[in-house]
Amino acid sequence: MPIAPFLSGLRPGVLAALGAPAVAMVATFLAFGAAVRDAGLPLPWALGAALLIYGMPGQLVLLQFAAGGGGGAAPAVLGAVAANARFLPMAVALTPWLGGGRRARFLALPFIAITPWAAAMQALPGLAPDARLPWFLGFASASWSLAGLATAAGHALMPLLDPAALAALLFANPLYFALLLAAGVGAPASRRAVLAGALAAPVGLLLPPAWALLGAGLLGGTLAFLAGRHRGRGG
Amino acid sequence: MDGAATVPLLLTAAAMLALRGAGMLLAGTLRPDHPFIQWAAAVSQAVLAAFVTLAVIAPAGALASLPLAARVAALAAGLAAHAATGGRMLPSLGAGLAALLLVRALL
Repeated sequence: MPIAPFLSGLRPGVLAALGAPAVAMVATFLAFGAAVRDAGLPLPWALGAALLIYGMPGQLVLLQFAAGGGGGAAPAVLGAVAANARFLPMAVALTPWLGGGRRARFLALPFIAITPWAAAMQALPGLAPDARLPWFLGFASASWSLAGLATAAGHALMPLLDPAALAALLFANPLYFALLLAAGVGAPASRRAVLAGALAAPVGLLLPPAWALLGAGLLGGTLAFLAGRHRGRGG
Repeated sequence: MDGAATVPLLLTAAAMLALRGAGMLLAGTLRPDHPFIQWAAAVSQAVLAAFVTLAVIAPAGALASLPLAARVAALAAGLAAHAATGGRMLPSLGAGLAALLLVRALL
């Protein structure tokens, strides 16, 4: 692919990434940077988690483990993978829209995450096939850079915040996820999974702390999935 | 950096690449409504719902210093604003956090 047209093809995606979705995402990464510092972990850890995992639910599960310490790496990694398991169906749904060559589209791989995915699923079908991969890469690299900057800013600002401001900032993440889940509960399968996960959460408290989220998610998610299969057969 | 926190971070980063890569490779073979994809999506949503629930009923760190009523009020105000604004993210986040600060100041 020639470089100059490719670079100019990135621009519309970059501009789209700097709009409204960026504000909510920046707020959550700012909060993540502050939460990492609150847990006593350094900036490189915060940036590594934000940019290499680049999926807030998994980042927060990992942080909860790292802050608590102990329990081995397995429950932390499995918990983070379960929290970000949506990357798999997201990648399945997104890949056919990326266009580009079979190999070139793998450039998109590290950037498949909630914000770029949701924006791309709306924008890509309306673009010419050749414009799709550059648009996604422009959007994703701009979002990714903003996420890193916001994380560093949150980590730096955390000691300057008074307790009320810090608590409000830290609550931005669970609230953001509650809103993301609320946006999806129109679909019966999502509604069942959210309800079952919330109801299973107290069961998670009976498990060792590192396994609480994974245990509750596996229990609630599997029961919701089975209930959906049962209803599908019955109706 | 603390090795006890770094090893899980690097393993998770590798697992995320594998998860995204597997999705891209499966895109040609598994349909989005395949039972395995549906199960993975359900577990993912349930983990998130459990995360939100635990952050409200049994939080750790600085969040634990907030009264339970403030956390519940923030969640309720955020969800109410989300329903009232037709799903707009920023006003809903703002409403939830404003409710959090208000109830914290009152109690």
